[in-house]
Amino acid sequence: MASAKRKRTDDEVETSTPRKLRTRAANEDEPDEEAVPEVSTPSRRTRGRQIVEDGTPKSILKKSGAFNGVSGTTPKSHRKLLFTTPSKSGKTETPNGLPTIVRNADRSARRKSNRKLLERTLNGADSDEEALDEEDTLAQQILSDEEEEDVQGQDAPDIGEQEDIQIPETPSKRARGRPKGSGRQRKQRSPTPPQDLPPYEEYFWQNRAGGNKTSNNTLSAQCLLNHDEYFQAMQCYEDHHNSEKEFLLELHSRAFNQWIFELEEGFNVCLYGYGSKRPITERFTAHLYDHLCGQSPYMGSKKTPKIVVINGYTSGTTMKEILNTVASIIIPPNTKTPNQLSSLLAFLLDRLSESPPSHPIPIILNSVDSPYLRKSPTPSMLASLAAHPFINLFCTADSPNFPLLWDVGLKAQFKFLFHDATTFAPYDAEIDVVETVNELLGRSGRRVGGRDGVGFVLRSLPENARSLFRILITEQLAVLLADDDDRGANGDGPTATPRNKRIVSTKNILPEATQGVEYRVLYHKAVEEFVCSSEVGFRTLLKEFHDHQMIESRKDAMGTERLWVPFRQEELEGLAEDLSGDSF
Amino acid sequence: MEHQRCYIYSPPEADERAAKRRRITQLNSPLVHFPERLQGYRDIWSQQEERIQNTLEEGDRSTLQNIANFVSAAAEPDCVEYLAIPTGLIIAGPSIASHGPFFDRLGRKIKEDANNAYLLLTSGEGPNLKTLLKNLIKKVASRIDEDDEENLGRPGTSSRNHPRLLDFDLGHLLGWQLKHQAQKIVVAIQDSEAFDAGVLVEMIDLFHSWLDRLPFVLLFGIATSAESFEDRLSGKALRHLEGRKFDVTQSDEIIEKLFSTTVASTNVPLRIGPNLSRRILERQRDHVQNLQDFSDGLKYAYMSHFYANCLSIFLIETLSFKDLASDVFEATRNLHSFRRWVEDMLESGRGHEVRKLLGSDQYLFENIVEHVRSGREVLSALSGAATVLAHVREALQMSPHVPLSSIWIRAASGEMIGSPILRETMLAIKKASSDKLMQLFASFEKVDETYLLFDPGKYQRDLEELVNANPNSAPLRSQHDVRNDSLRTTVVAQKVLLSKHKAALSEQDKAYSDLVGRFHDEINEYFSATFIDPRALFLSEILMFDLRSPHTEVFQPKPRFAIERSLASPHDYLGCDCCSPGGVRDREAPLSSSQPATAILYQLYLESGALINVSDLWSAFNAIAGDENEDEESKTMALFQCALAELKYLGLLKPSRKKNDHVAKMMWKGL
Repeated sequence: MASAKRKRTDDEVETSTPRKLRTRAANEDEPDEEAVPEVSTPSRRTRGRQIVEDGTPKSILKKSGAFNGVSGTTPKSHRKLLFTTPSKSGKTETPNGLPTIVRNADRSARRKSNRKLLERTLNGADSDEEALDEEDTLAQQILSDEEEEDVQGQDAPDIGEQEDIQIPETPSKRARGRPKGSGRQRKQRSPTPPQDLPPYEEYFWQNRAGGNKTSNNTLSAQCLLNHDEYFQAMQCYEDHHNSEKEFLLELHSRAFNQWIFELEEGFNVCLYGYGSKRPITERFTAHLYDHLCGQSPYMGSKKTPKIVVINGYTSGTTMKEILNTVASIIIPPNTKTPNQLSSLLAFLLDRLSESPPSHPIPIILNSVDSPYLRKSPTPSMLASLAAHPFINLFCTADSPNFPLLWDVGLKAQFKFLFHDATTFAPYDAEIDVVETVNELLGRSGRRVGGRDGVGFVLRSLPENARSLFRILITEQLAVLLADDDDRGANGDGPTATPRNKRIVSTKNILPEATQGVEYRVLYHKAVEEFVCSSEVGFRTLLKEFHDHQMIESRKDAMGTERLWVPFRQEELEGLAEDLSGDSF
Repeated sequence: MEHQRCYIYSPPEADERAAKRRRITQLNSPLVHFPERLQGYRDIWSQQEERIQNTLEEGDRSTLQNIANFVSAAAEPDCVEYLAIPTGLIIAGPSIASHGPFFDRLGRKIKEDANNAYLLLTSGEGPNLKTLLKNLIKKVASRIDEDDEENLGRPGTSSRNHPRLLDFDLGHLLGWQLKHQAQKIVVAIQDSEAFDAGVLVEMIDLFHSWLDRLPFVLLFGIATSAESFEDRLSGKALRHLEGRKFDVTQSDEIIEKLFSTTVASTNVPLRIGPNLSRRILERQRDHVQNLQDFSDGLKYAYMSHFYANCLSIFLIETLSFKDLASDVFEATRNLHSFRRWVEDMLESGRGHEVRKLLGSDQYLFENIVEHVRSGREVLSALSGAATVLAHVREALQMSPHVPLSSIWIRAASGEMIGSPILRETMLAIKKASSDKLMQLFASFEKVDETYLLFDPGKYQRDLEELVNANPNSAPLRSQHDVRNDSLRTTVVAQKVLLSKHKAALSEQDKAYSDLVGRFHDEINEYFSATFIDPRALFLSEILMFDLRSPHTEVFQPKPRFAIERSLASPHDYLGCDCCSPGGVRDREAPLSSSQPATAILYQLYLESGALINVSDLWSAFNAIAGDENEDEESKTMALFQCALAELKYLGLLKPSRKKNDHVAKMMWKGL
């Protein structure tokens, strides 16, 4: 019932104000004048609010009304001058540019209010509080409103009600003023607003629209270490947790006999947890070797047990190699084995069933979840290999979600027992740290040894190749500069209001689509400059670059191939300079 | 070695002696009597395994036999008309994991029965018709000679007059068939749902056209229903098939059977306890539905018991006192149940016995042997009573249907006395009419009578006499039967009063009521005598394995949780002094520079948003982990890069092209 009543009062207010506004706007053609009544329709607003909320302190309401009422006739220039200085140092020069500011601000306010309305309908009233837009000179004009709202801001439903009334009344102004106040207040209070959210809430909070405000800082090129520097630094580094890590390892090795028992009982074992598990598998392999040596077929004989060790993380590990290694144990040499993978597997399994070895063949597999072993036939083949009673698979898994690799059927075949084997040991063999970081930051160009490396390669290439590389760099720079120009045109003027901010931020996303140079374009340029005469020649030149990892290529969403040199703008400029200069 | 892909392990030469020393120290580990325990485990488990195997075979023996009969009864090869391919639609149910073993068993059955060829195809082997045929032919060919595909052309092209056949030509199959004269060529499609319907239709078409030369029989494994399988095929393909439906026993039924034979049966030397049973069954129901997994879970429980509990040695029946180390007795005296037992004895004033138990290993040993025996009896009686209860409920057709497994679990946790399920059943017995009671007595014949402490036969004979003496055809009713009650409505002072009224009982009914009453009392007594709390038994720790801990971690690991925990609070694993969380309990340790670099970076990562500026991350990292000393920055940077690379390796980070030097967050902790 209450809400219905409120609605009605809304309607009353609405029917009276908009018409007035429109007439006024029609009378006064100056844009900043138009803003005046919107800013301060004091009596009406206070009335409307008083109807709605009785609980709010009267004094503040009155104050705001009085304040606005006084200022209603005077131009805002006064207040602007008064208040702009503290908020933005750059605004000292603005007085003469006042009309544009106001116009722009107004325009953006309209847009914003529209957006706000949309957001509210989509997300509910709460989204107001998330509007984290910053400085706006006009906000200062309604400072009084803000103060008042800070008091009311404690009471969330009230805000909603106010919005309901006031947005239709003076849409642009009200919508702008309020969220600004609340948003800013919030921001000042705590830079990382919500604490101790449940994980899912945190996910949504961090993924909310416009929630990703990160600085534009970048790492300087010298900052990141290259391989030599990295290894040098790591060599001097002494981990003060060494004894604890050693103790962890010691703890895990107490379970060796248990694991052997489990393997003997026909289970396979999979270790997981943080840290490289190679130290464990190494020790376990040694332990298992000793254990087998003490068993019947090897005791006192010259024969030694055969344990297959596979490093899944090494690039290029294939099922074929794994099977061949297993085959080398169970099949006498010089026996012809099938070529095809599936028949080789079937052959091995048959062989194992028909003439079983004296004990199950242990396979130690480091990183069963490595990218090289994830592709389609490999997991299922591994599973059917592991399912054989005369194969003992002892493997480790690094990634947190590795069980997702296997469906129920494969899991049943693997017959895994899982053990937490957190070691905190560094992933020395598994990761190439420098390379990974460069890739992560899109700086794989550093792989060739940076600018100098590229120069070195180029010097060894024919003139044509250098020209092609120069064209590519110039084109790529041109694309980058074009982006920058767009940015400059919109964002450099004194009217850097939130609207432009947004454009800047979208511009930052843009390069993703336009990164690099289209293959066709590059080819035509190259032909024009007589670098090559045919596509074959062009390809040959590009291949050389590819081989030295000096360029990268990718198909974009439209399917067109794009090529680019994996360097930053500064480095590209430097390269272009080198190329055009006489250093070559 | 670490960068080599695959190799055969060979021990480092110099390390030989160290390895030996290690071996010796590990032999001294607290594995008292391990070989004996291992033997005990093998003996006991082999019994269980046999039971499991029998149950499994029992479970689908009839289905397998039916299918085998169907295959051999299918149209004889010399039949003139080749109208349709005989097809078996095997409704194998939704538990896909058990399909594989089922089809393996089916294959063995079909092959052993007659000279049949059994070719099993899975969806992976048939992405299109060509590959499917190739694989099919390869499977046949592998039977003849274990050679590669280059020799595969031989069967078809043995004579030079013929052109060389392509490797997906069914001509190969024909050649093979001419040579081997298989009675049937059974092609089993294990997971028909995963095949492209078009491939199946083409295959059926093709097989049909060869049916005059090759005696095909098709078997389709269906996880959904025969109707939905039919819907996927075209009308023409359906005309080529002559189908028959076979229902495979669903895995949950088999699980129930397995449970009753391996856990809730009367002669089980080592039982798994109610908590673990509940866990295993829940896992079956909610996650895996896999028979193999059930027996694995059971096996692992047995393994854990015999491996980790040195007292499990008392489960071996042929044990003599002199074989045992005194440690074992010392351990026994520390058992909870021993203490309880001894305290009880002290209360009842048997102090000298207690003294003897504490002082003499020999005396203790005799007592242990005696108690292991009696404890087993008690547990068997309990299991027997649970079975009886389940039988009673079934015979009286009580709803809801409560499976034996849940009855047993309740009984084994000592919750049965006074539980609603027991009261309800007793009430139902009181109310039962004579025909139902007859069925109930008849069903007792199936129960193992060793632990049935009363004689149902006596009641059965009495009841038969009563029924025979009954002149009416209607069954006799007891006085508690609802139908003997009538409600009387009286209106007094404008209020309605309801009153129950017992109908007058006939002579026979009275006699019957008397019988029911006696039976009820006796069975009630039986239940209250047998449904004890097994955990109160002396040596219950030995007789029953009920630890959830190794089972849960080993079968349902939480790798992601483990990694998140190790990074968010490394102290939990490292246990070092420097990174301890201080006074704050149950909270993650505050960030400190002493933590491992990756842990620090991970916690910063948790604080940041979905998009992370690496430059800012570096400054934050440097502020925490870095030294004041500027020269050390390259070391800090190395650690930073290493940590960043590790996070990437763990899949927590992804490159982002949205902004320069930004990375995208991939995982939210605890999500």
